[in-house]
Amino acid sequence: MHVIIATDGSKQSLTAARYATTVLDATKVTDVSVLAVVRPLAAVSFSNELGPSSAGRAAGEGASFRADAEAAIEVVAQVFADWGPKVHKRTRSGSPANEIIKAATQLRAGLIVVASGSRGISETVLLGSTAQRVQQYAPCPVLVVRPSKKPRRAVRS
Amino acid sequence: MLDESDAPALVGDEDDGLKRSITGRLLYFYVLGDVLGSGIYVLIGLVAAAVGGAFWIAFAVGITIATITGLAYAELVTKFPQAAGAALYVNKAFGNRALTFLITVCMLSASFAAAGSLATGFSHYFSEVWDLPPALLVTLVFILILAVVNFIGITESVVANMVMTFVEIAGLVIVVIIGIVYVAQGKADFGTLAQLDTGDQSPVFAIIAGVALAFFAMTGFENAANVAEETVEPSRTFPRALIGGMVTAGLIYVVVAATAALVVPVGTLAKSDAALLEVVKAGVLPVPVGVMTILFAVIAMTAITNTTLVAVVTQSRILYGMSREDVVPGVFGRIHANRRSPWVALSFAAAVVCGLLVVGAALNRAGVGVDVVERLALVTVVFTLFIYALVIVSALKLRGEEEREDVYHAPTVLLWVGILGNILLLGYVVIDDPGSLIWCAGLLALGGMLFVAELLFGRSGARSKNSGEPSEPDPTQEA
Repeated sequence: MHVIIATDGSKQSLTAARYATTVLDATKVTDVSVLAVVRPLAAVSFSNELGPSSAGRAAGEGASFRADAEAAIEVVAQVFADWGPKVHKRTRSGSPANEIIKAATQLRAGLIVVASGSRGISETVLLGSTAQRVQQYAPCPVLVVRPSKKPRRAVRS
Repeated sequence: MLDESDAPALVGDEDDGLKRSITGRLLYFYVLGDVLGSGIYVLIGLVAAAVGGAFWIAFAVGITIATITGLAYAELVTKFPQAAGAALYVNKAFGNRALTFLITVCMLSASFAAAGSLATGFSHYFSEVWDLPPALLVTLVFILILAVVNFIGITESVVANMVMTFVEIAGLVIVVIIGIVYVAQGKADFGTLAQLDTGDQSPVFAIIAGVALAFFAMTGFENAANVAEETVEPSRTFPRALIGGMVTAGLIYVVVAATAALVVPVGTLAKSDAALLEVVKAGVLPVPVGVMTILFAVIAMTAITNTTLVAVVTQSRILYGMSREDVVPGVFGRIHANRRSPWVALSFAAAVVCGLLVVGAALNRAGVGVDVVERLALVTVVFTLFIYALVIVSALKLRGEEEREDVYHAPTVLLWVGILGNILLLGYVVIDDPGSLIWCAGLLALGGMLFVAELLFGRSGARSKNSGEPSEPDPTQEA
């Protein structure tokens, strides 16, 4: 089975990846694809909260959202380093939900793992998030990992 | 669902395949949409007032200078295909931290002023459809809605972007059709197109004044750098799409300007807040004027919205980037957990633009007559002319660096012409209208204040960043 682990650079996506290793049987999984989607037209195309990627860059060196995405993939891929299955790193470009679903179709994935950011009011009031859209249209089962009862980020930020 | 769609599957999906989604065609429409929305719907009346019937010349000259600047951008983007634009190029060329910061703040300020001017233009067309709400309220609500839309991420849709661009073009096609019908009816007096109505001013200065305003119509193309990183084969696609988009926009502008001058008396254009509507109202087409007016006002509002959206994206991106580089407080780098949007940067940007609009309205109320559209447009022009000139200088200075086979080279002579053009215009605007400088100073001071805030309240005092040299990545400095 090919498992897609989606990361948006959030800590929650790292939690989701770790969770996946605890519930999945490594012997049944043949491939893991860690996937990040860069959103070209968004205000911030990709934001990596998992590492030092773009911090520490000198002024004017320019934002490389792609580099940020690759750095995030690297961190998440580490989770699966000694797990067993082959690990692939993939960066795509476009609308996240759409690209995750496309990747799942192309790779004939057996499972998609996504994180859902918050339990806050925005989730209920605003239109569907990436996780919601993925679970609605995915060609395979979807594991949505939500934050535990005491969300650190959702409340504070 | 509209925002579900995107570009067709493109380059290979290898293991770590570098899949990019912006094709040349999409980039072309992105540039065209962004450029078309800004000026012509908002500014045509002001340009007509400055020059007279021959105001299409002002557009032609403005477009030429802007397109030459576009050549420099195209060259630099192929060298550094990153999402940073002018600040990056200037930094590469001069390596001076203060100058880079200044340019970044100028980019930010230009974008703020442009959004303010566009919002006011929007309210003029809005009042043609529904004139009950006060203009200031319309502009403020407009800016707030755009901030929310960006926060949710609706703007990410490539398809929505193209649809908006087509609507914009449709509006201008309507104007051109009216012109053709009018000419066919034999009513057109082509003498108008050569008529300079400049009062006691010398015609040369009148044209330069028009060019300065018309220049605003071309600003925005530099935002194409936003998507440079995600462009397929940037060295091949980018120059073509950017210059293609600008030239197309330029041709449309000149034809539309000429049409407006032929169909509507220049005096009427000059007095109108929503000048292109006057062309529609002339009743040349066999469609009820009321219907056409509303249709056209909606098209104009769509066009303005498209461009303003890009401005809002650019502002929040610049603020986000600055916070990551520790030149403004880190709070601007904060990303909403679920929507992955820089919500602090978006809110702040909206607040600044609203502030500009309120100040403009307050000055008007206090009896200081300020044409908010014109004033903010000129402020934008001052900033962009400065940025553009410096970008061209950077392009020349960076010759010989990062030279790869696939780098695009702009003709050197044209670049010199471009520098000259930008500086001449800048000089004229500053001398002619020193009042704009007060606004510019205000916006620059705001950037300075953010920097001071970071110095005073930044999370840690001992940052290697402030030493000026590019520092090694440091895990403790995660934003």
